[in-house]
Amino acid sequence: MSYSDKVLDHYNHPRNVGSLDRNDPNVGTGMVGAPECGDVMKLQVKVDEMTGVIAEAKFKTFGCGSAIASSSLATEWLKGKTVDEALAIKNTDIVNELSLPPVKIHCSVLAEDAIKAAISDYKKKQDQRKPVEARA
Amino acid sequence: MGVLPSNYYDFFGIEHRLDLDLRDLERRFYALSRQYHPDRFTLKSAEEQQTALDATAILNDGYRTLRDPLARAEYLLKENGFDIGEQGSKNVPPELLEEVFELNMALEELRAGDESARAGLEEARAKFIAMRDGIDAELKAKFAEYDGSRDRKVLAEVRGILNRRRYVWNLVNEVEKELAGAAA
Repeated sequence: MSYSDKVLDHYNHPRNVGSLDRNDPNVGTGMVGAPECGDVMKLQVKVDEMTGVIAEAKFKTFGCGSAIASSSLATEWLKGKTVDEALAIKNTDIVNELSLPPVKIHCSVLAEDAIKAAISDYKKKQDQRKPVEARA
Repeated sequence: MGVLPSNYYDFFGIEHRLDLDLRDLERRFYALSRQYHPDRFTLKSAEEQQTALDATAILNDGYRTLRDPLARAEYLLKENGFDIGEQGSKNVPPELLEEVFELNMALEELRAGDESARAGLEEARAKFIAMRDGIDAELKAKFAEYDGSRDRKVLAEVRGILNRRRYVWNLVNEVEKELAGAAA
């Protein structure tokens, strides 16, 4: 099986590798893994408090080229999106963009799971910050 | 010779259980090997010779699968619709993911030539080996529980435990390779 040019490009030049301060209330962290191949993927977003737009997205993935490319692409797409727009990213979008073969589709599922986990972590933190009366 | 059962359990004539008596399995393997030995079919029709060859292939694959508890469990899970499939991270506890991630970071540091990562890795290796032993004990108990109850819920649990085991085992192997390689 050969990787597509786009996968190779992301694999050789991954975008946004790194990490954000997970204790920052504006940072959401998603950690997901695929037991079938032993991959583990951490994806983080930092949301701008004023605009509600994702200002920064970082990832670190241990896994195959497709898993790295999927998460790298995901961080590129996340920047500039609102939280709700981020949740609309589907694994099939990643599959199409990277021309992933069927055996690598689970890598894109992992990336989608990572986005959802990061956003859900961010939302949880935001809820905890709000005073109780303001939530009602 | 009639149609050969393609299911390994059926071929060996044993119940579809997670726990097997390995000595009984071995006895059956030898008996069936004799029964289907190609030498006994040299004077038979081409069709019968082919059947004997097919039988020997199923027999060898089946024995390899059934005598290994993990391969056997995967086989039984698959025939019950619990294939490893694409379940993502749903069966892996978040704390384990954190540990896996940290260990991978340490591996990467060691590969980059940071010898200070070594002590941490050795510690992590011991921890993951202990974790694997714990998982194996858990598996053993679940095998017995399934054989006793035939409850599909238990199979789902076995699926989760095997996923965790595979995860941990891959890591132990990688750490060992790295520690050995770096020492050489």
